[in-house]
Amino acid sequence: MPENKKPKYWRSLGELEGTPEFEQFLRQEFPEAAEVAPTGMPRRRWMQLMGASLALATGAAGCRYPEEEVVGFRYPEEEIAPFSRRPEGRIPGKPEKFATTLTVAGKACPVVATSYDGRPIKIDGNQLHPMVAGADTYSQATLLHLYDPDRSQYPVIREGSSENKRSWDEFAVWWKEQSKKLEGGNSSKLAILHQTNTSPSVLTQMNEVAKKFPQAKWFQYESITGNTTLGTELAFGKKLRPLLNLEAADIIVDLSADLLGSHVTHGVNNQGFAKRRAPEDGPMSRLYVVESRFSVTGIAADHRLAVAASQMPSFIADLEQKLEAALESGETKEKPAEKIDIVITAMVNDLVSHKGKSLVVGGESLDAETQARIWRINNKLENFGKTVTFIEEPKLARDNVGTIEELAAAMNAGEVDTIIFLGGNPLYDAPADVDFIAAMDKTATQVYYGDYETETSKKSTWHLPASHGLEQWGDAIAYDGSYCVAQPLISPIFETKDPIEFLSLIAGSAISETLEAVKQTVATSFSSSVTEAAWTKVVHDGFIADSAPEAVSVTVNDSLDLGEVSVATWRAGLGTAYELIFHPGAGTYDGRYANNGWLQELPEPITKVTWDNVVTVSPKTAEEIGVKQAELMEVSANGKTVRLPVYIQPGQAHGTLAVGLGYGRTHAGAVGGNVDEDIAPVGVDVGPLRTKASMNLATGVTVKPTGKEFKLATTQDHFAIDLLGMREIGRRVEELVREGTVEEYEHHPDFAKHIVHLPPNGDLWEEQAWMKESYDGHAWGMSIDLTKCTGCNACTIACQSENNIPIVGKEAVSVGREMHWIRVDRYFSGDMEDPKAVSQPVTCQQCETAPCESVCPVAATVHSDEGLNDMVYNRCIGTRYCGNNCPYKVRRFNYLDWRASDHRFEAGNQELAKLIFNPEVTVRNRGVMEKCTYCVQRIQNTKIEAKADRRAIGPNEIQVACQEACASNAIEFGDLNNPESNVAKAHANPRSYSMLAELNTKPRTRYLARITNPHPWLASEVEDHHGHGHGESEHTHAEGDHADDDHAHEKEEEKH
Amino acid sequence: MDRFLFPRWVNKFVPLMFGVVLVGAAYGGSVLFVTTSPQILNRGYRPEQPVPFSHKLHAGRLKMDCRYCHNTVEKTSHAAVPPTETCGNCHSGADSSGATKYAAVHATSVALEPVRESLATGESIDWTRVHNLPDFVYFNHSAHVTQGVSCVECHGRVDKMDVVQVVEPISMSWCLDCHRDPDGHIRPADEVTNLAWGTEAGGNEMSDEEKRLLGKQLREELNINPKTNCSTCHR
Repeated sequence: MPENKKPKYWRSLGELEGTPEFEQFLRQEFPEAAEVAPTGMPRRRWMQLMGASLALATGAAGCRYPEEEVVGFRYPEEEIAPFSRRPEGRIPGKPEKFATTLTVAGKACPVVATSYDGRPIKIDGNQLHPMVAGADTYSQATLLHLYDPDRSQYPVIREGSSENKRSWDEFAVWWKEQSKKLEGGNSSKLAILHQTNTSPSVLTQMNEVAKKFPQAKWFQYESITGNTTLGTELAFGKKLRPLLNLEAADIIVDLSADLLGSHVTHGVNNQGFAKRRAPEDGPMSRLYVVESRFSVTGIAADHRLAVAASQMPSFIADLEQKLEAALESGETKEKPAEKIDIVITAMVNDLVSHKGKSLVVGGESLDAETQARIWRINNKLENFGKTVTFIEEPKLARDNVGTIEELAAAMNAGEVDTIIFLGGNPLYDAPADVDFIAAMDKTATQVYYGDYETETSKKSTWHLPASHGLEQWGDAIAYDGSYCVAQPLISPIFETKDPIEFLSLIAGSAISETLEAVKQTVATSFSSSVTEAAWTKVVHDGFIADSAPEAVSVTVNDSLDLGEVSVATWRAGLGTAYELIFHPGAGTYDGRYANNGWLQELPEPITKVTWDNVVTVSPKTAEEIGVKQAELMEVSANGKTVRLPVYIQPGQAHGTLAVGLGYGRTHAGAVGGNVDEDIAPVGVDVGPLRTKASMNLATGVTVKPTGKEFKLATTQDHFAIDLLGMREIGRRVEELVREGTVEEYEHHPDFAKHIVHLPPNGDLWEEQAWMKESYDGHAWGMSIDLTKCTGCNACTIACQSENNIPIVGKEAVSVGREMHWIRVDRYFSGDMEDPKAVSQPVTCQQCETAPCESVCPVAATVHSDEGLNDMVYNRCIGTRYCGNNCPYKVRRFNYLDWRASDHRFEAGNQELAKLIFNPEVTVRNRGVMEKCTYCVQRIQNTKIEAKADRRAIGPNEIQVACQEACASNAIEFGDLNNPESNVAKAHANPRSYSMLAELNTKPRTRYLARITNPHPWLASEVEDHHGHGHGESEHTHAEGDHADDDHAHEKEEEKH
Repeated sequence: MDRFLFPRWVNKFVPLMFGVVLVGAAYGGSVLFVTTSPQILNRGYRPEQPVPFSHKLHAGRLKMDCRYCHNTVEKTSHAAVPPTETCGNCHSGADSSGATKYAAVHATSVALEPVRESLATGESIDWTRVHNLPDFVYFNHSAHVTQGVSCVECHGRVDKMDVVQVVEPISMSWCLDCHRDPDGHIRPADEVTNLAWGTEAGGNEMSDEEKRLLGKQLREELNINPKTNCSTCHR
């Protein structure tokens, strides 16, 4: 494609280069391969088989319920089994919500779990808690584990090569014998390895174990860790936790911290940040991001610089030096020549002119010295106590806890006879230079306690199953130090024990009531008198209000010596050297969520790759190495080599490679891979490349292309709107996602509406009187603010959980059969090496004149008088005409019965797996079209409730699932006919625009144009992307003289 | 042997044969159509229950309110079948010490054995569902009962039934009949469980016309506008 024809925005390199694969996705609603059954069976053969089974099915059952006993043509006979004794206040069929606390990816997450007739079906954030906003993907998806048939179900003992089922009593008897051998002085032969602990009650039990085995050695290991506490120790002499306040910051500098993505407090960060990013609500904050790989924070950034990971310390030292100079001699007035210099000078100017209202945050994986330097910078900028405060690190581990290297050394020295693993999977994720398998072989007995069989448990004598977080009483300390309690929503489904029970068993004084242990912790540490009423409130809220510790005042060590760091190396770049970043896998974290289909199938926010980990490289680096997209590349570090598929990621620092952890699990389960059952692992294990010294970043990496192509399942090009084609048809078709700067906004607030020239064509239909009158009751609508959206995917998972959306697997995703109702589009724009990016969630737009409706031959998709584009599954015969005619490409078709017994992801114990379904939403069958319904079940239930109470529905009473999950409140939903509702206000916002308004579809979902707040020096760069030759005519429209091309908009306005 | 040929006069039976086939197909088709209609399939269905509970006795003769047992009907979509405990309020058997409550009714009845068993063991009594809807239909009892649609509109005179049976077709077109023209089916909300309301037995005999007028008035007062959108019942 010639240079001048490159689309301004692009979603993938395929699109930019116009590859045949992309063309295929574009031309055909459903790509070629989608016609074929997933086993590679030709369509003809498939039809023959289907014909036969169809005949069999009709002959045998003669009805639509083949699996149930049917008498003649009647519905199957059903039984009603009421309680013998119904619990007080329990109303069968009414969902109830309970606050509880889950420990997710090593941190405490206060959540609200929805229970339907006694089974948890959804997890949301507990919005009462000050550290919670929305709900992240991990915590929402942990629900899937509760009903996972792969979860460990009973204690197992391994004797030789045989595995035998045991009961807990048998284990208790065995342990009693074993502990006799470990009494007194022999207790030094016992070692215990645990993960990050969040629970004070568990700590109490650990101390009990330590009392029983006084000389036992304690170790802690987490494969993904940071240096935050080391940094504060160095800077302030104390172990501290920083609490950020992004709302108070005018200028935010993110130094590879990924504040809005993987940062430990990303939820509240998003919330605070979003409050300062609405231009109509006051001055916007400005975000600078300096990072090595593209993150969602990079998408949100006003200015972004790519700096190699190993050179971040150099950059930060340079920044400090420049800041010091500016603090002394004032801002630089002159605009430098080079872009890098402009950005860094603008950053320094902004920081010194916003003392006390700025925030500089470093990534957890930066070394302690660099983090201390960042705190010193904040100190100089007078930010302490304003945009950042500190609390003492809560004590949740025993003193003198060893590291995994020390454990391996002790095991190798023969000092350990019995080892207890409290969760974790060191065999999979221990540093490669710690030969953990060999060390473990030197111990006689291994006891593994955890919720899944793992690589480690498979090598252990005993495997004891742990309860799911929703099955247990417990407690945890949240990030802000507040005390949270966990309550069970369901009694353990399998023979499992919670950690408090397990540890008390190990300590020799088994507790049967975990609740009592938790109450004991509350009574001793958090409240002197626990009244029943106070306890009820704690359980209701899920945490003790005001239990968070006071912020401590900090002073930076005067004698802080951070050594000599060159301030120039970062400019030079890496040259020909390569380095590799290890980052948490988007779906798997460190591998603990490898068996979670929801997370595996969730497209990674930037690459949009599912079911795999890739090594991302910048386009320039790829050219240097000579690799193509999706080619397998040999990556060698620390003397080991693995083969990884390449993903060319625009905007990555040159020479920096990045790969996600947690893939390539050999004993994860039916979803994540299990070599014992011939289920191939998902992705590649990069553990062999990581050593003690290079857990986060390996330098001196060598690479070698193999020339072999790897099939990646990306959702990037799927459901692409035919922008290229449309451009050919007419120049008036402009972009789907609209952006502008604050300046533009102030000058011309409704610029977004005028980006597209609406043609003066009228309706094909004459507007009938009933069309105008019909929306007199409710008119449901949605608004999505592109300024606030970071593309984090929380909405997609929330929707999947709420609406019973199936998992389809890698093969099906790669042929475009993914079922997510919300697709988060990610567009790049500008230079390929230094691109800008924007995210846009697209879901059914609920068009008032919906193109899908007019082509359905069986009226399976019709319009409701409240403006919903109803989808009637039981009418649908699967012609797919609607999907073909939808300009937004938001309809999904069930090519197969994803719930069928032979489907890998829903198979196994179907009775168990189907407990996760939301009974308020129909489970769709094979051959049926489906799409977003605006959570019509929530609308209907609220309407019925309000009607029964004889009251009106509150303006913002109905919350849809995606909206609830969104931490930055980018999504608003409600009644457009109610002027009090947030959505009506959002639609009246001048930034509001309809996607593809020129097609006259009159969508009910509108977007708020993305506003960035660039530094004046750099504003022109952004504006360049918006020259559309509007010029004078645009302004005349704005002044009310609506010409023909605004005709369609006018009408639309009238209707609401 | 010579070829056998039908005599010529047989030819006049050929059109008749076509006729027979056509009529047969039409007959077979209409029988299938009629017998599979909800009118025929659903109406009159009266399964046997594990306990021969008589609505005629309890709701009819004893005049117990429907909501004594079906107490969730105004709060949620299900008009829940009561827990065994509700039965046990009157029909409890001997307690662990062998003493029977003074007020216990039929404490030793054989027919009530499942009730006593359920009370003792905590296991459910498995009742058979009489009024059944497909899983893609989301009917909500509270939406109807709180707006003055009586039980009798869908379930018939349950207070006259020893064994409950389906009296209405419970089909989509039957639902829509009422959603399109609700006037004749709305009564004051506090009369919904009075199944005899509007008849001589209920003490306020009303003609259909009078009922319609009252229904219309109530509908306007309470702003009751039943929807006929697909998403009203299908989600």
